[in-house]
Amino acid sequence: MHDNGHNPYKPMPMHVVRAYYESNDRSLKTLELVFDRKADQIEFFEKFNPGQFCQLSIFGKGEAPFGVASAAWEGDFVRFTIQKLGSFTQYAHTLQAGDPIGMRGPLGNGFPLEAWKGKTLVIIGGGCAFSTLYALTKHVHHPQNRPDYDQLIVVYGARTSGLCMYKHDIQSWHQRDDMQIHQAIDVPEEDWSHHVGYVPDVVKEVAPSPKNAVAIVCGPPIMTKFTLPVLVELGFSPESIFTSLEKRMKCGIGKCGRCNIGSKYICKDGPVFSLKELQELPDDI
Amino acid sequence: MTELISKLRTEIEKLFSEDRIDVFIAFKGADSPLRPQPAFYRAGNDLENLEYNSLCQNNLGNYLTRYPNETRIGMVVRGCESRTVNALLVEKQHLRENLTLIGIPCQGIVDIRKLIKRTGEEITAYSEHQNKVTIKYQEKKHTFAKQDVLHDSCLRCLHPNPVNADFLIGEPLPEGDPSLVREKVETFEALSKDKRYEWFSQEAERCIRCYACREACPMCYCTECFVDHNQPRWTESSITSAGTHAWHIIRAFHQAGRCTSCGACERACPVDIKMTYLTDKLNEDILEIYSFEAGMDGETQPPFAAFNMDDKKRFVV
Amino acid sequence: MMYILEKKKVEQVLSAWNKAFDVYAPQKVENYTQFLPFEKTKTVALNHAHNTRYPPKALFFPQSEIMLKYNSRLGRFEESGSKTKPMLIFGVRPCDAMAFSLMDTVFLSEDYVDPYWKAKREDSIVIGFGCSTPPQTCFCTTVGGAPFSHTGLDAILTDLDKAFSVQVLTNKAENLFKNLPPATEDQINEVKKIQRKATESMAPAFQTSGLKQKLDLIFESPYWETIAESCLGCGICTYLCPTCFCFDIVDEIQRKERIRNWDTCMFRIYSQEASGHNPRPSNKERTRQRLMHKYSYWLDHIGEIGCTGCGRCVCYCPVGLDIRAMLQTASEYESEVARA
Repeated sequence: MHDNGHNPYKPMPMHVVRAYYESNDRSLKTLELVFDRKADQIEFFEKFNPGQFCQLSIFGKGEAPFGVASAAWEGDFVRFTIQKLGSFTQYAHTLQAGDPIGMRGPLGNGFPLEAWKGKTLVIIGGGCAFSTLYALTKHVHHPQNRPDYDQLIVVYGARTSGLCMYKHDIQSWHQRDDMQIHQAIDVPEEDWSHHVGYVPDVVKEVAPSPKNAVAIVCGPPIMTKFTLPVLVELGFSPESIFTSLEKRMKCGIGKCGRCNIGSKYICKDGPVFSLKELQELPDDI
Repeated sequence: MTELISKLRTEIEKLFSEDRIDVFIAFKGADSPLRPQPAFYRAGNDLENLEYNSLCQNNLGNYLTRYPNETRIGMVVRGCESRTVNALLVEKQHLRENLTLIGIPCQGIVDIRKLIKRTGEEITAYSEHQNKVTIKYQEKKHTFAKQDVLHDSCLRCLHPNPVNADFLIGEPLPEGDPSLVREKVETFEALSKDKRYEWFSQEAERCIRCYACREACPMCYCTECFVDHNQPRWTESSITSAGTHAWHIIRAFHQAGRCTSCGACERACPVDIKMTYLTDKLNEDILEIYSFEAGMDGETQPPFAAFNMDDKKRFVV
Repeated sequence: MMYILEKKKVEQVLSAWNKAFDVYAPQKVENYTQFLPFEKTKTVALNHAHNTRYPPKALFFPQSEIMLKYNSRLGRFEESGSKTKPMLIFGVRPCDAMAFSLMDTVFLSEDYVDPYWKAKREDSIVIGFGCSTPPQTCFCTTVGGAPFSHTGLDAILTDLDKAFSVQVLTNKAENLFKNLPPATEDQINEVKKIQRKATESMAPAFQTSGLKQKLDLIFESPYWETIAESCLGCGICTYLCPTCFCFDIVDEIQRKERIRNWDTCMFRIYSQEASGHNPRPSNKERTRQRLMHKYSYWLDHIGEIGCTGCGRCVCYCPVGLDIRAMLQTASEYESEVARA
């Protein structure tokens, strides 16, 4: 219940604590935000779950939804990686440490972490949509959470090495013995020692076993479209494949009607859906 | 079935049987006797519900821009509709050779609101004969002179005869009296500045931003209307006075030299907002300054769309 | 309890209530009626057979509403002013009152409460005005309502020519009417007769049994290609609809306000995505969304149809589209899928 006197449309006052470019072409920028009010921070982290998103709010530019790219244990900040596209994101890219910004959230269902306990997680991401999968991986990495899951397999593709996000951290994943990481770029580059090719092909090559496993796919629509059949072919059932829908959203709390598809509101009932749930929705996406 | 409808039907059947059209746009009778609906016929054998009377209130030119240029469209056109088609042809919205226009000299469109004002909303039957209109209201028949219930735009119609029809059904009617439009414009202009603003505000501020006026207008075919543009936003989208004023002024200005005075905007409005007093004024100005009337032919560019290298004003270049 | 309110006393009674409440009542505007503050003209137009054109949902959910003010000095959003008096709405038709109850399930849902709707709605009083002679565009009885339905009302009036009978339905309303003379037995019988006659006068407008399943089944069928071919894509049907609740949120920079405005699935721009992709590119998909939402998705959510049969969309569609005919066609539609 959010009816404890506060207004779900009112952004929490936040400040940028760190702002840095994530890609060499400066199209991706990461903002780490901290709470102006302790009470907001406590409430946020009580509810937060990887896979959820927030509405960032800039007066005059409106609001836009972004998936959270950090795990709760990383600290008392919330991370977002923002691709420069429209007027909102252009403005967001000008923000620097110390600048104020509004935030509403966490919103949406997030990943069904409880239901996944005991299973192998096959995490497949491409482009900047990998941000929520990064949060998921970070969450699982925590020594308290890691025993809850079986194997951890990550496939992460970017167009070029310069567009790979969270470089230093992901670099260190290759040394970990509690996970597999398969990085890919679309075309060969000098000094690139990982996969070259599109994500669906890399998944085919890695061929994760569907046994006691769930696959989580987030990426550009075209990547998702071609990855799903690969997973089905590998034997993953529609119940064990999950994806996160990006949809035009406004209110983020299932009122304004904008993201309605069939009887679902993407913002409230999603953004994370199993392939089975998606197959049951009308073709209105 | 009236004689006109049976003639029309024969012509449409012929167009289909000679494979000259892909679709024919006309009106059909519907559940409500007051609301004939635009209809899209794709074969000559399903014309049973074809309708034509003075309640056909929409401008069918509206649907022209929905089809690709290759579609061979047949259409019923009245005076204003035919000029709308011309105005759209000037703006390259279709190809004349792919249009077959069946013209009907128009005796005017009956304004349902005027009927309702005289009786009440529950009108259950409608018929017309020559200059009379008969309706049934609460089980009683009421007959009115058509002239008394015509839409205002039709009362001042200048060109009831289609200007570009491939053939006509019915005899041409006398042209309208231009002094009537001038009189209307002058009456409004004679008001003081404050009175005019008060009138404009009263009309505009009832607006609920449903954009039925825009959607009912054949000339409003932009893929993205200025009110929907959000980078930058040109006007407030709220129903504030600033928002509604801006909508009504800019909408009218975009019609300067393009509006054919069909009045479809006013007939579509769910809150009875008057709009033609603005477009009529603009039409008068365009006529006076540039001697141009929208849609009289299918080639001449409207003044604000035309460009001339030896234009005296250099602001364009 | 049933009381008698003489018509000539209505304005006097409303004036008295105006001290404790913000009283709204239908008043004449141009050629139609609209709910406005009673103070505005101090008259009430309850003589129209037809409902108000603009739906009274706007009283709880204004078409344009300030959500937040922006304090640029602090760089923060702040709550805008709050109302002072509870709202009393006089003369609401049962279809519109039923719509209030439907809208409650959206705006007061358990997970998130909409504070703007709640603030106006929670202590409001809604006095209904039953429909003795339902117009031909009405179809409340087809969708689970009735011309004298009590849902969403605190009291309901019946027109007895020179007076209204007042059936009090809640304690809140009892206090308002308890000083009026009670109805006589003859009057009570007369009211019953009027109400029965009104309900009986309404034939089913289309077949609702199995309609949802049918709509779900024909989602992909050619039915939608032609059903609304003449649709202009304007917002009349949804803006005049008492149950449509979609809204847009915009920042008005000069006013330093964040505002919500009604929005509609009938507009192209509503579903237009920044990438250029539009999942509902034509009137076909948009009309489908409108009908499916009301006659399928609402049922998935709360088990009720999201339409109360007020008939505004039928009355005011500029091309004469009639939702009743569209739904009847759907229920009779033999799709390839349906036959398989």
